[in-house]
Amino acid sequence: MSKLIPFINFTSKKLQLRFVFTLFLVIFLIALATGAGMAQEGAESAKTTEAAETTAEGKTAAAEPEPEPYEVVDYRNFFGIDGRLIVWIISELHLMFAAFVLAVPIFVVIIEMIGVKSGDIRFDNLAREFTKLLSAAFATTASLGGLLAFALYGLYPAFMRYMTDVFHPYMFIYALCFFGEVFCLYGYYYSWDLLSRTPKGKWFHISIGVMLNLFGTALMMLANSWATFMMAPGGINMETGTVTSLYHAFYNFLWMPVNIHRIIANVAFGGFVVGAYAAVKFMGSRTDEERAHYDWMGYIGNFIGLGALIPLPFAGYYLGREIYMASPVMGNIMMGGAFSWTFIVQAILIGMLFIGGNYYLWNGMSRIKGAERYTPYIKYINIVIFFCFAVWLTPHNLPLSGEERALIGEQYHPFSKFFGVMAAKNAVVNLLILSTFFSFLLYRRANKGETKPFSSHGSAARITLIITAGLTVMYLAWYALGLRGLEMEENILRYVSPLVTCLVIQIISIVIAILLTFANKGKIAQSFLFVVTTVMAVIYFWYYGFVVMEKANLVLRFLSVTQVSIVISCLIVNTVIDVFLFKDAKEVGGIQWGKIPHRSQYALLLLCVAIVTLMGLMGFIRSGLRMNWHIYGYMQDTSAGAFTPSIAYMGWTVSLIVILFLALVAFVFWLAGLADKKKKHA
Amino acid sequence: MGNRKNSYSMIVAIVSILIVFVIIKFIAPYAFMYLLAKDHTMPTPSTLMLWYMILAILGSLVYVSTSDLKWAKFLSFILPAGDDKTKAIFQKIIVISFPLLVGWFAYSGTMPGTASPVELRIQHPTLLQEYEKLENPFANADKETKRRCVEEGKILYQQNCRPCHGSKADGNGPFANAFRLRPINFTDPGTIATVVENFAFWRIKEGGPGLPNVSTPWDSAMPAWKDVLTDTQIWKIIMGEYVTAGVVARQREEMEH
Repeated sequence: MSKLIPFINFTSKKLQLRFVFTLFLVIFLIALATGAGMAQEGAESAKTTEAAETTAEGKTAAAEPEPEPYEVVDYRNFFGIDGRLIVWIISELHLMFAAFVLAVPIFVVIIEMIGVKSGDIRFDNLAREFTKLLSAAFATTASLGGLLAFALYGLYPAFMRYMTDVFHPYMFIYALCFFGEVFCLYGYYYSWDLLSRTPKGKWFHISIGVMLNLFGTALMMLANSWATFMMAPGGINMETGTVTSLYHAFYNFLWMPVNIHRIIANVAFGGFVVGAYAAVKFMGSRTDEERAHYDWMGYIGNFIGLGALIPLPFAGYYLGREIYMASPVMGNIMMGGAFSWTFIVQAILIGMLFIGGNYYLWNGMSRIKGAERYTPYIKYINIVIFFCFAVWLTPHNLPLSGEERALIGEQYHPFSKFFGVMAAKNAVVNLLILSTFFSFLLYRRANKGETKPFSSHGSAARITLIITAGLTVMYLAWYALGLRGLEMEENILRYVSPLVTCLVIQIISIVIAILLTFANKGKIAQSFLFVVTTVMAVIYFWYYGFVVMEKANLVLRFLSVTQVSIVISCLIVNTVIDVFLFKDAKEVGGIQWGKIPHRSQYALLLLCVAIVTLMGLMGFIRSGLRMNWHIYGYMQDTSAGAFTPSIAYMGWTVSLIVILFLALVAFVFWLAGLADKKKKHA
Repeated sequence: MGNRKNSYSMIVAIVSILIVFVIIKFIAPYAFMYLLAKDHTMPTPSTLMLWYMILAILGSLVYVSTSDLKWAKFLSFILPAGDDKTKAIFQKIIVISFPLLVGWFAYSGTMPGTASPVELRIQHPTLLQEYEKLENPFANADKETKRRCVEEGKILYQQNCRPCHGSKADGNGPFANAFRLRPINFTDPGTIATVVENFAFWRIKEGGPGLPNVSTPWDSAMPAWKDVLTDTQIWKIIMGEYVTAGVVARQREEMEH
């Protein structure tokens, strides 16, 4: 003990790095504050002079000196920083934490149920570990929510006065739901041991979890209605602002699409965030046991994230379409106007998510004995995915130099002409989803050897398969009949019939696939369905999309829905076939949890950063689409901060939000883990 | 070539990247020339070139690192070649060509040139508020009036718009070749068919000079027609123009819950 250890080790590299990082954050914040604050100051002074003028008039009438009148302001700034920037950062942070807090209970309850059903204690422990993170994040969400409310009422008093006038009854319901959520969450977390003793108790515990989800979802939906009311107001007189129908103000046009999109996105978000948590823990693990646990946890996180990511583009497309429907002008601003470049950034992030997710799966195959049989496919999937990525991010309007434009001789280069429009984007995103799904199927069967014939699974399997296929076929048929019954001009209607034909072909293919499965040829059935779907939904619709665009633009919207329906029906039926195909199949060598290269864990971290950035970006787009309106078409934002930010400004702000969120989450998770560390040391 | 154990995956990766490069740089311009029956090649824009090449490199790296074995094989190429002559030659090629490539990038990036700046264009500048709520006065007119408007609009179109946008609205008017940014081809489904009529109304009325600042730099030569044509005439032109081009404007959909 001759060497003295100083209280603070200034030579430590870690400490120096921390100093540098703190310094960077401080400079960054100051830069943002000065840049954004100046504009607001001018507005503030203009407001006060205006107010002063009006009071001056009053003074001439009455000669007596009056006490200083009460001044009503519409906007304030936050100690010199633009109010919009502050609200932007706080609301985004609140939303991200809320997304995590809403998503995690969804899969925690499912994991707990799987644990009860399978009797595997690992699932129960995993669900519990997730809940531990949840309760730590919950308090932060609530604090941020409070801060957001204060910021809104403080910085946008006039706007919030109106919002309160319209929505005050729902605000009390919100508070009520919040109590419900608090009680359920802490009840769920703290009664875990107590209720685990008996099966009845366990199911009671699960039902608390379900209640927790219901309250959480209700909370989110209530808050969504306020946000979507601002985008597509309903139930008010657009001239005077009088509330004509509170129900329509609440159930406004974009409410449901946003609800659906947010729930799915939250699950993807939660999955990737816990995946990153597991990755960090994995890389810091000392024992094989810990490594195995966190490897498995990371796998589950990625599985949840990818699972939710697959339907997400469909929900996003639905939301986008409804925005076009609510206001074609807003739609054009979104896809072709000021926000079109942010969608290229979005394309890059989504591409990263798909590639990262697949990369993790492929690396994960190395811990499975028997996966060698399927690894040759990886190169083809890889090529397909990168090709899709390339098409997916090709913009319709390219940055061109004058010389290039002269060489090309027209506005659009063929690459952007054929890859840049919706017909191509829809085709590749569907192909991307199909290939990711294919990757996952390969991963699933990597460990599986000889399968049992389908007939050995008994009638339950047959019934499940028939019901699933029946529902899918019914949906497809319902949509096809809807297309048949469309009332349109004859020359446009002509272009709808190929869609109906495709739907019919898909129905027939599903029936054939089911029959093949019954005849113990499940693998052939799956491949058959895959091929038919890809040929129709990707190749044919890519081509047909252009035909329709040229001849009958109106049909494009039906084409996209048909395409999505065909792909989803294939995913559903193939999943169910897969479940029974490999039920009770012999295992080849088992999965060696913990034996996965660190590269894959970095992929999990990348996925987390990508989805957090994506959420920040899309939050900006959703809110920014209103341009200089508080409430689109009714109440204008007349503050100095109402301008639409440039892409660079948006990029800085969103990056700051991402850094803040990740730092906060890391801190909160670290706090949550303190108790465990104590236990281990004791 | 006695030692067959050496992995050539690094070479395979490099060759794949080169193939992608050749396809985009040399094959695509000619392929588009033949497929689209043009009289000149369609060179790939430098931005796309860069993006696609980044993706190709990324894709190769992703593939070679999908398992520890593949990654080790990939990296093993930089180990001593031993008696494998082919490997030794490839190694030399890499050692020589890689610095050359980097040098070329540095040179071409810093060499003074006379290229005009790359323009980041926004296809649909944001529609001004005063145009957003406008409605075509003939939208709800009876069939006969509509037909008459379309006919009048067609004539007005030929009188005023044809010189640049062409008699078939295909952007091939007699003046078209004089512009660096060619007049828009309305028959292209990616143009007027994707916007509402109000948007076309705004563009005709205000023209290039009326474009908001966010849309600059923009070298549109479209004149502002507000001093020449009346609003009614512009609406008629729009109706005639869509019919001439054979496309339909974006429709407002029925909103229902």
